[in-house]
Amino acid sequence: MRLILLLCFPMVLASQTVTVPTPPKLPPPTGFRVMIVPDMEGMGSAVDIHEVIAGNEGEQYRTLTSDDYWNRFRGLLTQEVNAVIVGARSAGAGSFVVNEGHGGNLFANVLPWDLDTAAILVRGFPKPLIMITGIDSSVGTLIFTGAHASAGMPGILSHNFAFDAFTVNGTKLNEVGINALIASEYGVAVSMVSGDDVLIRETREILGPDFVGVTTKYAVGRMAAITFSPARVRRMLEDSGQVAVARARRSAFKPYRLSKPYRVEFTLRRSYPETIVQGVDSLRWRGLEKTGDRAYRLTTSDARQMGYLLDAIERVVLH
Amino acid sequence: MIATLVVALAAQQPQQQPPAAPLRDSTPPEAYYGVTEWREARAKLEPLMDRSARGFTVYIIGDMEGLAAAVRNATEMRPPTRGGGQDHERFRVELTDETNALIAGAREAGATQFVVNDGHGGTLFRNTLPDRLDPEAILIRGYPKPIVMSTGLNPQLDAIFIVGAHANAGTPGIISHSFAFDSFTVNGRMLNEAGIAAFHGGELGVPLALASGDHVLTAETRAMLGPIEVVTTKLAMSRSAGAGFSPAHVHAELRAAAARAVRRVQSGELKPLRLAKPYQVRFCMRRSYDPWFVGQVRALQGLRQDGGERCFAYTSQSAEEIGDLLNRIEWIVLKP
Repeated sequence: MRLILLLCFPMVLASQTVTVPTPPKLPPPTGFRVMIVPDMEGMGSAVDIHEVIAGNEGEQYRTLTSDDYWNRFRGLLTQEVNAVIVGARSAGAGSFVVNEGHGGNLFANVLPWDLDTAAILVRGFPKPLIMITGIDSSVGTLIFTGAHASAGMPGILSHNFAFDAFTVNGTKLNEVGINALIASEYGVAVSMVSGDDVLIRETREILGPDFVGVTTKYAVGRMAAITFSPARVRRMLEDSGQVAVARARRSAFKPYRLSKPYRVEFTLRRSYPETIVQGVDSLRWRGLEKTGDRAYRLTTSDARQMGYLLDAIERVVLH
Repeated sequence: MIATLVVALAAQQPQQQPPAAPLRDSTPPEAYYGVTEWREARAKLEPLMDRSARGFTVYIIGDMEGLAAAVRNATEMRPPTRGGGQDHERFRVELTDETNALIAGAREAGATQFVVNDGHGGTLFRNTLPDRLDPEAILIRGYPKPIVMSTGLNPQLDAIFIVGAHANAGTPGIISHSFAFDSFTVNGRMLNEAGIAAFHGGELGVPLALASGDHVLTAETRAMLGPIEVVTTKLAMSRSAGAGFSPAHVHAELRAAAARAVRRVQSGELKPLRLAKPYQVRFCMRRSYDPWFVGQVRALQGLRQDGGERCFAYTSQSAEEIGDLLNRIEWIVLKP
């Protein structure tokens, strides 16, 4: 325990010296730009943590991997993203940004050599606005694949970043909701989400009924599901990608809005060791109030500020 | 200061403590999502079933002990990360290929839809290869899941097949066993795992029409259920040795048997297993389990001690409830 503490502090100090990042701009789009954020928990066939973890993400993840599974699912993940791109392209999209949304292998899951060659792939860790790095107003529409329900929900591998609870203005947000709110700062809307039945239902409650939802599987446990074949899921993703982009090009989707200023409230996971809580406290994040044992509040009028705080917390957790 | 020094000195002494008792998780099954929610699983699968006039859905339970050529539990039934060996990966392929052979045969006879339920605990019910399985099949995988070997069973199904099945506990079959039991009976009828699935399906009006495994399994399952289709994949020589037919030969046999099974169900020749209610269940936990496991089982609701320390009786009007009970017991012995 003591050893972990000692290792933890230099990292925390280092992260304090990082200023709010201003990433280089991506090249201008050569056509209607689609940003795809692939996560893994909600992808077709995946049910178990060993299938989505590489084992190098930190001490607590070392035994949660199984090489045969991990490698197989990276391949399937890449093919899912390709299917979305094929569908989007057939609806007239001309530019694709794929931003790794899954922390396994520290945000390096998609196989670059097997990914559609038209795509720009954002990978690695840390990266600013972690799940939607590179977003700006050049993005025409935002697509989340393989997403999972939030912590405490009866969905496959359900969780929500590092939190047991996360609300903005009292509205419970899952990871898709959090990123949709950040994207709205750029006027970008979500057109499509794929994941298990619990995630789709939950996201409709947050974003409303408009987005194209793809149910990749039906959860019958937190690590068990009724699944469809990878080929069938790819077909669904391709078809839905086409529908979503066609509608997005007609501006059928509205950015996700909540009233400002945003009152962001969250509780760090109870399962984390105390060192993680100390790490978050040591960030001395401007405007972050501690409202309970593991509970915090941030009030801001810019959802990006919430995103940068999430980045800092992910860096405390993923080391 | 002195206290710190004492602590530091004490830390340098070798610890003379008795070995710690193994950490055991006595979380009740209801506290972990996915163990007891069989109604929910059924409600999620049932709407996906083909209900068209010519629709015929086959539910295939995939186990591994009875696969062609499989003989050795230690290396073939579980992966290295769960204490097994590299050969497991080869047998995952074999499981998937044998399942595909059944699907191909059933399709030839007019079956239109296939639900595959991964029924082998070696990788916690993640053995079938999703990207090698027939792409039209629905695959239920992962653990814990409700009524683990017959998750989501519902009356919209038309037939149940079990592939790679193994003979009952106490028999000379290859890797013979039955869930966590040394014996399991309903109304005095001895049932193996295939028989338990047939009992569950039977109540819903769905017959178990085909079983494959070693010669002990095929003979005993026919003795329990009557003349269903069987494919004998190997002749058991001991619990870990056998004379096996070529996998290619077994695939051809499975394909032909699956087609026959579908036709025999369509013609009404193969009927669901119906037993008289209330069901009187009796079972004895495996002798190899230590008293902690038996104590956890004893604490489950509705069980009566019957005929020994590890033997219990249970009365129910519902095969699904009995399946749920078995699943709670499986959770006790399987959870980490």
